Amino acid sequence: MALRAQPGPVETFVQSVVSGVLTGSLYAMIGVGLTVVFGVMRIINLAHGELVMLGMYGAFWAHALWKLDPFLSIALWVPLMFLGGMLVYRFLLRPIIPGGELNTLLYTAGLSLLIANLALFAWTGDYRTIKLPYAITPLRPFGIAVPIPLAIAFALAIVITAALYLFLARTDPGRAIRATSQNPEAAALMGIDVERISMLTFGLGSALAGAAGGLLAPSLYLYPTVGEILIAKCFVIVVLGGLGSVSGAIAGGVLLGLVESLGAVYVSVAYKDTIGFIMFLLVLLFRPSGLFGVGKS
Amino acid sequence: MTRGAAGAAVLVLVLVPPLLTSNPFLLHLAITVLLWTLLGAAWNLLGGFAGQVSFGHSTFFGVGAYTTMILYLKGGLAPWYGMALGGIVAVLVSLPIGLICFRLRGPYFSLSTLAVAEIVRLVALNWEGLTNGPVGLLITTLPRVAWGGRILDWESKVPFYYMIATFALASMLATYRLSRARLGAYLLAIREDEDAAESVGIDTVRAKVLTLALSAFFTGLGGGFYGLYFRYVDPDAVFPIALSVEMVFIAVVGGLATVIGPVIGAVFLTTIGEMFREHFLVGHLIFYGLFMMLVIRYLPEGIWGGARRAWAKRP
Amino acid sequence: MPLLTVTDLTKDFGGLRAVSRLSFDAEPGEILGLIGPNGAGKTTVFNLVTGFLRPSAGRILLEGRSVVGLRPHAITRRGIARTFQVVKPFPRLSVLENVTLAAFSHEAARRRAEALAAQILERVGLQDKLGSLAADLTLGEQKRLEIARALATDPRLLLLDEPMGGLNPREVNAACALVEQIRADGVSVILVEHVMKAIMRISNRIVVIHHGEKIADGPPERVVNDPGVIAAYLGTRVV
Repeated sequence: MALRAQPGPVETFVQSVVSGVLTGSLYAMIGVGLTVVFGVMRIINLAHGELVMLGMYGAFWAHALWKLDPFLSIALWVPLMFLGGMLVYRFLLRPIIPGGELNTLLYTAGLSLLIANLALFAWTGDYRTIKLPYAITPLRPFGIAVPIPLAIAFALAIVITAALYLFLARTDPGRAIRATSQNPEAAALMGIDVERISMLTFGLGSALAGAAGGLLAPSLYLYPTVGEILIAKCFVIVVLGGLGSVSGAIAGGVLLGLVESLGAVYVSVAYKDTIGFIMFLLVLLFRPSGLFGVGKS
Repeated sequence: MTRGAAGAAVLVLVLVPPLLTSNPFLLHLAITVLLWTLLGAAWNLLGGFAGQVSFGHSTFFGVGAYTTMILYLKGGLAPWYGMALGGIVAVLVSLPIGLICFRLRGPYFSLSTLAVAEIVRLVALNWEGLTNGPVGLLITTLPRVAWGGRILDWESKVPFYYMIATFALASMLATYRLSRARLGAYLLAIREDEDAAESVGIDTVRAKVLTLALSAFFTGLGGGFYGLYFRYVDPDAVFPIALSVEMVFIAVVGGLATVIGPVIGAVFLTTIGEMFREHFLVGHLIFYGLFMMLVIRYLPEGIWGGARRAWAKRP
Repeated sequence: MPLLTVTDLTKDFGGLRAVSRLSFDAEPGEILGLIGPNGAGKTTVFNLVTGFLRPSAGRILLEGRSVVGLRPHAITRRGIARTFQVVKPFPRLSVLENVTLAAFSHEAARRRAEALAAQILERVGLQDKLGSLAADLTLGEQKRLEIARALATDPRLLLLDEPMGGLNPREVNAACALVEQIRADGVSVILVEHVMKAIMRISNRIVVIHHGEKIADGPPERVVNDPGVIAAYLGTRVV
C-alpha cells in the first residue's frame, strides 16, 4: 500500500482555512441569534449559550430515543424553540427590561445558571456524542478532509442564513424587525407594534440558537455546561462584527473560526481560545462599533 | 440600635461560634459563610457602590490563591505573609485590568471583565512552569507557628475560623467606612450617571481605580485564605466564571451597596448549597439561578435592602 | 480679557466635520446666546469646551489658560460648569444629595457642603423638595435641579444646553429670570436654546452656528435681521 504523502505547507494551510470556515459558519449562526436580539431590544442575553445547548440535546435525544437524524430533527425543535423563546420573552424578560440594562444582564445570567443546571440535573454531566453511520469517513475533495456532518451543517447553515436574509429583507415582519432595530421610537410612530416585534425577535433568536445547536450536535461533545464557552465565543463574534449587525455576526463568526483554526495550527493549540478573547478586548477598546464599524452602542 | 451596639453585636456573633461548638462540620460551614461574605463584600464595593458589574472577579481570587501557594511552596514564605501578598498582587493586577476595562461602560465593561478572566484562566492552565497547569498546587504541611503562647493546631478548624472572621469583619468595616466617606458618595453618583458625575467635578477614573484596587485586595486575600484552608489550588477551582457569578449573586441577593447585604447573601448561598448538596449533589446551582432571577424581578435591592425599606415604611 | 476664548475650533468625526474653524469669545458678566438650526453643532461645542470631546484642532482658553486635553472633572474645577440637553440627574439619590455631590468639588466637609447645597436649591426654588428622589421630580424641576447642581461647583462660566426645552410659558419666564439672576451674581452664561423669544430677550450677544461654522456674531437685534441667519433657518428657497 502506498504511503500517503505528508501534507505540505499549502495543504496544511488550506485544510486549516477550510476547517475554520466550516466551524465558523456555525459560530456565525449562534452569533446571529444573539445579535438580532440585541439589535431590537438592546438586551445581551447571557442565556443564549444555554439555548444552543438545548438545541444540541434536542437533537441528541431525538436521535437516541427515536433514531431521528439530527439534521431532520431540527425541523421539530426549531419551531418549538421559536415558541419557547417568545414565551420566555413575554413572561420572563419583559417585566425586567424597565429595570435597566444591568439588571437584565444579571437576570439572564441567573436564567443561564438555571437552565444549564436543570439540564445537568436531568441529563447528568456525562459527555454525550451522536454517532452517525455516515460520519465515519470524511469527504476528501482535493485531498482536504471534510467531516460529512460538518459539511451538511455548513450547507444547512447557509440555507438557513439565506432564508433569514430573505425574511429580513422581503417580508413585512422582517422589515419591521430591521426598522425597530434602527430606531424603536420611529418604528413605533410608524405603527409597528414594538412589543410584538420584540417577542418575535426573541423567538427568532432562540430558534436560530436551537438550529445552530442541532447542526453542531453531531460534531461536538455534548455536556450541559457547554453554554459557558459558547456564550463567551458568541460575544467575541458579535462584538467583532458589530453589535446588532447580522452580516457582521456572520463575518465575525467565520473570522473567529478561522482565527481559532489557524491559531491552533500555527501558534499553539492550548492558547487558541485566548487569541479570540484578546481580539475581543482589542476590538472593544479600539473599534467598539465592530471591525466593520456597523455596530450600535 | 446605635451604631456602637450594632458593631458590638456583630463582633460577638462572629467571635462566639468556635466557643460554642467544636463540631468540625459546623465550623466548616461557618468558615464557608465567612469566606463568601468576604468575597461578596469585596465585589460589592465595585459592583454595588460604583455600579460596575464585574464578571471577572475570579481573576483576583485566583491570583491571590496562586500567589500564596507559589510563595509558600517554591519560596518558603509563610502563608500568612503570602495571603497579604496575594492581596497586594491582586491589587497590582487590577491596575492594568482597570486601565483596559474601565474605558467601557455598562454591559461592555462586564463582558470585558469576563474576557479578561477567561484569558487569565487559560494562562494559568497552560503556563505550567509557574502554576503547574491543570495539576495544580498542593500544600502537604503547614509551618509550625505559635499564637498567644500556644502552637496552632492546623488540623482543627478554629485558627482558620478566626482568620477568615477577621478578614470578613475587615471587609465589612471597610464597606462601612466607604459608605460614610466622600468616596462612597462619589461612587453612588458614578453608579447613577458617570458623565454627570464627571461634570460636577468627580474624578471618575480615580474613584473607579481606587475602588477596584480595594475590591481586588479583599478578593485576593480571600483567595489566599482559600489556598491555605483547602491546601489545594488548580485553575478550575479558583479561576472559573462560575465563581465570579457566585460573588455577584451574593451581593445582589443580599443587597447591593449595603454592609450587611453580603452576610445575608453568603448565608443564603451556603444554606441552599448545603441543603441541595445533601440531597441532590448538584442541584444547588439551579436555585442560585432561580433566586437571582426572583430577586431581580421582585426585590431588586436584595433581601437586606428590601428589609430596610420595609422597616422604614412601617406605620 | 475675555473669560472664554475659542479659536479655530474644529471637530471631525471620521469623514464628518461637525465643527469647523469656530472662533468666538465669552466676556465676563454676559449671557452669550448660541443658536443655530438642529444639527448645527451646538452641543458638540459644549462637549468640546467641557472636555467630553477632544478637538481635532483649535484652541480653547479659560482666562488665558488652555483647557484642551483636560478631563471634564478638571475643567469643572477650573470653573466651567454645564447642564445637559437631556437632563442627567442622579435619579435614585435625593435632590439635596444631587447638589451636595457637586458642592464637594470645593467644600470637603459634608455638613458645610449640604448647607451650601440647600442654599443653592433655595435660589432655584426647590427648597421644599430636598428629600425627594431626583427621579420623582417633574421635568421643569429636574432642569432646575441640574442648574443648581452646576452652580454648586462655584463656576465662573455656566453652559446651559436648552434649559427651557419642554417647559410651559410660565416655566420659561421663571427660567429666564433665574438665568438673569445668575448673571447678576457674577457667573457668565453661554446659553444654547431654541425658544427664540427667551434667548433673544436675555442674551447680551448672540452667536449663530450653521453646519458647524459661525455665520453671525453680535447683539440680538442685529443677528435676527442678518440675511445669512434667516437663510440658514428658512432655507434659501422661499415658497
